[in-house]
Amino acid sequence: MLLSIENVTTGYEKAQVLKKVNINLGKGEIVALIGANGAGKTTTLRCITGIIKPWEGTIKFNNQKIDALESYEIVSLGISYCPEGRDIFANLSVYENLKVGSYLIKDRREFKSNLNQIYELFPRLQERSNQIAGSLSGGEQQMLAIGRALMSKPSVLLLDEPSLGLAPILVESIFKVIQQINSSGTSVLLVEQNVSLALDLAQRAYVLEKGAIKLSGESKDLRESVYVKNSYLGIK
Amino acid sequence: MVIYILQQLVNALSYGSILGLLAVGYTMIYGILGLINFAHGEIFMIGAFSCYLFTTVLNLPWVIAALLAIITSTISGLLLERIVYQPCIRRGGSVLTIFIVSFAASIFIRFLFMMFFTDARRAFPIPAFFEKIYFVGGIAIGLRDILIFTTTILIMLIVSYFVKYSKLGIAMRAVSYDKKTASFMGINSIRIIRVVFVIGSMLAGISGLEYGLSFGIVNPSMGFNPGLTGFIAAVLGGVGNVPGAMIGGFIVGIGEILFVALLPPIYSPLRPLFVWILLFLILFLKPTGLFRPNVKFEGDWGE
Repeated sequence: MLLSIENVTTGYEKAQVLKKVNINLGKGEIVALIGANGAGKTTTLRCITGIIKPWEGTIKFNNQKIDALESYEIVSLGISYCPEGRDIFANLSVYENLKVGSYLIKDRREFKSNLNQIYELFPRLQERSNQIAGSLSGGEQQMLAIGRALMSKPSVLLLDEPSLGLAPILVESIFKVIQQINSSGTSVLLVEQNVSLALDLAQRAYVLEKGAIKLSGESKDLRESVYVKNSYLGIK
Repeated sequence: MVIYILQQLVNALSYGSILGLLAVGYTMIYGILGLINFAHGEIFMIGAFSCYLFTTVLNLPWVIAALLAIITSTISGLLLERIVYQPCIRRGGSVLTIFIVSFAASIFIRFLFMMFFTDARRAFPIPAFFEKIYFVGGIAIGLRDILIFTTTILIMLIVSYFVKYSKLGIAMRAVSYDKKTASFMGINSIRIIRVVFVIGSMLAGISGLEYGLSFGIVNPSMGFNPGLTGFIAAVLGGVGNVPGAMIGGFIVGIGEILFVALLPPIYSPLRPLFVWILLFLILFLKPTGLFRPNVKFEGDWGE
């Protein structure tokens, strides 16, 4: 397994959020993490990024324990996080945001080629490269957040709610891009509230409920399960 | 009258340079830590005072003493960050705690120097080379004023370019805006904060040297007033905005000199009042300063 979360229990201060969570992400996979608000999806991602530490359990990347590392060290291993709510640097230009995203890349030519790839994925970003990021529309900010996360050429992309607050047509194009990113070799762990879309995109999925994994399996099987149908797809 | 005002403007240029360099340090440190580093004025004092000590006690040539003084002030700033601020932040000190700590650090350093050296005013060594004065159409321009001004402009251009275009500079602005998100980009914000302290303290040291050259006097409490004035210049320029701080420094410096020059001489003791009136006006009319601030106001350390 490329990334494995093993029996992780964690939370904030004294409030426990996750209970013995097990999640695996294989090379080249898209895995979705679905669940209601407050189920612990974002907490799971934050725990992988090292911003919060597991109370119990371990997180391994390429069989190497990473749960004691600082966030900036975890990024340097090739795990990139695209935060929820598109935490872009609103004071920087689009180009500067992408440049910050490639902070760990020392080689200028590599930076240029990564930048060109991002501009190919999101031509809109190229058009606005000198614009202050805070002045972008919501969809453009989401593109920028994803583009920025990809600038470090990660082997794992952690995507937190990429569809949040976007118009359906934009959601579709963002999801297409996620597919493209994945087919170029990046494994994706996707946190998503839009369960139907998430199951379309991901090969496998985990259903998180009240901090514990309730169900997991192939997307097509989950789609057929009565539980997922009732609780998340609204089909009786 | 015109010549008088022009003469005052020339005099104000070196004062504006001194404040501008100080303001840049304030603004960079505030931008990145949300911390008003009140000990910044003491770093400025260390720059000037250590140059005085190197030339008089150790009898070093002026240029070498000045370079060592810049290094001394840089190291002092770095120590301040390491010994005082970093442990405070690591233990989750609030903005208010660190604000008070920075006050304490300022008073501590000032009184430590006063204890060792007393607060007596001393003549700052000025090499004869600097004493040359040119006359242009009735206005006297000292070589040292020209050198102070051009050095400052040069340094400011370099720092502005660095902050605007270099990768480290962009990372610095990213950390100022949001430390947590910056860490997701692989940026070690502690390292960036250190770089900022190095640059800020170096500039404060240079500013202290310029003050010594320009006014010819050094003493341990010399950092207090220019320190506060530099801070106000930083607020005027929009906190976190480096070119803004430089322009703010010149506006305050020129304003202060003209304020005194244009009022009848009996009011000249009111000089410090000018900056406080200015601060009041900024906070009242445009609290974000003249130029776009470079910080996200959220009142915490962003975890």
